[in-house]
Amino acid sequence: MKTQHISLTSRKPLLSFAPAQSAPRGDVLVVVFLRGAADVLNMVVPHGEDEYYNLRPSLGIPRPDDNKAKVEERTVDLNGFFGLHPILSPLFPIWQEGHLGIVHACGAHDDSHSHFKAQELMERGVANEHGPASGWIGRHLATLNRGNPSPMRAIALGELPQRSLYGSTPVSSLRSIEDFKLRGNETAVLQMQAALGSLYSGDDPLSGLGRETLGILDTLEKIQPTIPNSQNPNYPDSNFGRGLREISSIIKAEVGLEVAAIDLDGWDTHFAQGVQTGLMPRLMTDLAEGLAAFHAEMLDHADRLTVVVMTEFGRRAYENASLGTDHGHGGMMMLVSGKLKSEGVFGQWPGLKSDQLFGPGDLAVTTDYRDILAEICAKRLNNPSLEQIFPNYVVKMPDLFM
Amino acid sequence: MNLSRRDFLKLASIVAGGTALSSCAPVYENLARLGNDSPLPQGEGLGMRAESFALVNRFSFGARHEDLTRVAEVGIRAWVREQIEYTSVPDDGCDLRLRQFKTLDLSANDLFDLSDKIFDNQDKFTVPDELRQATLIRQTYSRRQLYERMVEFWSDHFNISTEKGDCFYLKTVDDREVIRPHALGFFSDLLWASAHSPAMLFYLDNQSNLKDAPNENYAREVMELHTLGVDGGYTQQDVMELARCLTGWGMKEHFWRGDFKFFADLHDAAPKKVLGVNIPAGGLDEAERVILNLGLHPSTAHFLGFKISRRFIADEPPAALVSRVAETFSATNGDLRAVMETLLTEGIPHIQPKFKRPADFIISALRLLDACTDGGKPLQKYLARMGQPYFTWPTPDGYPDTSAPWMSNLMPRWQFAAALAQNEIKGTKIDVENLLELSGVSDIEGFIPWASSLLLGAPLSDEDSAKMASALRSAGAGDEISTARVIIAGILASPAFQWK
Repeated sequence: MKTQHISLTSRKPLLSFAPAQSAPRGDVLVVVFLRGAADVLNMVVPHGEDEYYNLRPSLGIPRPDDNKAKVEERTVDLNGFFGLHPILSPLFPIWQEGHLGIVHACGAHDDSHSHFKAQELMERGVANEHGPASGWIGRHLATLNRGNPSPMRAIALGELPQRSLYGSTPVSSLRSIEDFKLRGNETAVLQMQAALGSLYSGDDPLSGLGRETLGILDTLEKIQPTIPNSQNPNYPDSNFGRGLREISSIIKAEVGLEVAAIDLDGWDTHFAQGVQTGLMPRLMTDLAEGLAAFHAEMLDHADRLTVVVMTEFGRRAYENASLGTDHGHGGMMMLVSGKLKSEGVFGQWPGLKSDQLFGPGDLAVTTDYRDILAEICAKRLNNPSLEQIFPNYVVKMPDLFM
Repeated sequence: MNLSRRDFLKLASIVAGGTALSSCAPVYENLARLGNDSPLPQGEGLGMRAESFALVNRFSFGARHEDLTRVAEVGIRAWVREQIEYTSVPDDGCDLRLRQFKTLDLSANDLFDLSDKIFDNQDKFTVPDELRQATLIRQTYSRRQLYERMVEFWSDHFNISTEKGDCFYLKTVDDREVIRPHALGFFSDLLWASAHSPAMLFYLDNQSNLKDAPNENYAREVMELHTLGVDGGYTQQDVMELARCLTGWGMKEHFWRGDFKFFADLHDAAPKKVLGVNIPAGGLDEAERVILNLGLHPSTAHFLGFKISRRFIADEPPAALVSRVAETFSATNGDLRAVMETLLTEGIPHIQPKFKRPADFIISALRLLDACTDGGKPLQKYLARMGQPYFTWPTPDGYPDTSAPWMSNLMPRWQFAAALAQNEIKGTKIDVENLLELSGVSDIEGFIPWASSLLLGAPLSDEDSAKMASALRSAGAGDEISTARVIIAGILASPAFQWK
């Protein structure tokens, strides 16, 4: 199908990007947000700390050498002190390759215990309400000018864009490449596209988004035949798995993607969160299988790909009587990249003894999440404008990346 | 055509009694339409309506000709006042359309039984799907438009997702017995009903909030999201103490499943202190005292004043307006009709454009084009693609209420616009031939301004009309009807139609 008609009536030339040549030199960044405050203590388990087992008599994940537990239910040891929940073991090969980093006790200093306030502040990349309303990725895109004219510099997987993407660079949401098209008979589709080109020609932000949407339509139409048909069978059959598969297709198509944001919802496990089966194990399966499949599919791109997994805060160190956990404080970040200096569990471990816990019994925060994101922006995305991305914050890069 | 109310109801019962009306059955549809005098304007009838069009849009799901006619008769303020006194607005046409739904009036226990397939998995779709369908029908066809807007507002404010456990059937009861009776009543009654609603207690894990092991989820959200607001002056200690007050609040699980029950043996009966108030050891009354206090608290007045102003007036409502609404709230003990009256008299000058949320976008298209819809799954699918399937927002903060979150997802709106105009959505139809006839024009140049007046309240500028006409011509020629369809689709998909 021909779509030249649009460029006659649209101010922004839609065919202007030249895929591989003008793609940015930086990595593609994929940001995975675990919404609802993930129980990070049961994901990267401090099995070397007795207090963990005292606080979690029912929910604790057995030690790697716990003979009373089945082997497949024990923590998978990483470094003698921390280990992965066995359901996260699909990530273990990535650790062995040296491509998995974990920053424990990492998070924000907001102590509202509110999902909504904490997510908003974290995605804006600010310490309190007074910072800019845009998101940290939005400011990254706005301050990094490589002349990348792609309408797909950044995408939001799903129906609504992540708050982190808000900013002056238009970003569209997309659930799947397949669905991103107008349907109907050919004349009607051409007429519709022509009408849209004429209607979305203004200078307002919505017109900008409309032109971007037409640009993506045009881009996807062109690349669709060349998208490698992903045969990797290990993506979970879930929104998350399908979303990662779409991201891999878009990256491989080399259409100028710089950042993709994707969510995995449902981590607010106050009630019956589960140890080996149930709510949280299902989420961890989705996460681990999704990330492992994505990593395997993108091996050729590992040196220019960074995946960061984050959550708004962690959960209470002690379990509640509903076999769940209430809102806590310190969280955890996972990093998957071929450009990590080494694998490792990073950050200062604050401990779980009562005088080491924060507030009502929460893991303390010893690494500000912005330090990690800033290092990614600076080293992997080649954006030096950290004071604009994270205003009023003095970054202390932990030096995890090459 | 004019029928007396009694004739109308008699006819209605004859028709609705015998048939299962699952779609736009002509008899059923025609009957429901008898009450409408003139659903669509003709030819010149479209002039001079831009201002009232915008205001009616703000307080409804789309300014239909009948609404605009009424506004022309009595003025916008009187129209809104009529809408506030919603029980006086006859709504037989909508009621008739709702008769096809069998689950709306059933008790929780009956809904549970109905969903319980003894030899199969539980049917978790029939009950919530009927609620979704009924909601779409009400928003589209009810003449109590402001009331339906308030129902929508409180359904967000007291968000419950049917995806969580027993909520798939309990939400139907919550909608009927919590949200709808109090949507334009007193906030304290609404809050009270919500706190005693098994759907809410289940959704926020309070059925597992037990003596010696409190679960903070509902206790936190009732203060953070339902009343005081996150900066409303409560502390983590208040959350933990209120959670203790709420231990034992849950629902029956065996006989009369889904009814509220206070389990005294699971209640922590020691004294507590919440928001500086000592709560002596008691039972159910402990948390009820706190809930009464929360419903009238000054922080609640301010938080709700802000949220209602944001919904109806502007994404960033002026602080002075929020204060005035909060004052009315406090002065009337949370009378929501008085609150809406203040919003009407003092808010209208501050109205700023708001980006239509998906339901708003879809329903306004249906209303303005006088579509015939059964509200069924093929239509609901578009709501989901745009990000607003009814009653499935997972977290308790409800669907976003500001413009920014919705703006980036234009493609499904364009897809809907095209599908509606081409009559490709099963169960939903528009009559393009009739629209063309009513317009009294037959060429592109003439139909574009007429259709844009119908849908946008004012014609596109001559320049934009000419640009659109020339774009259409350059993309190839279709016949008259198919070109009219593309024009309708294009206007529905246009930037202007995304705003209200």
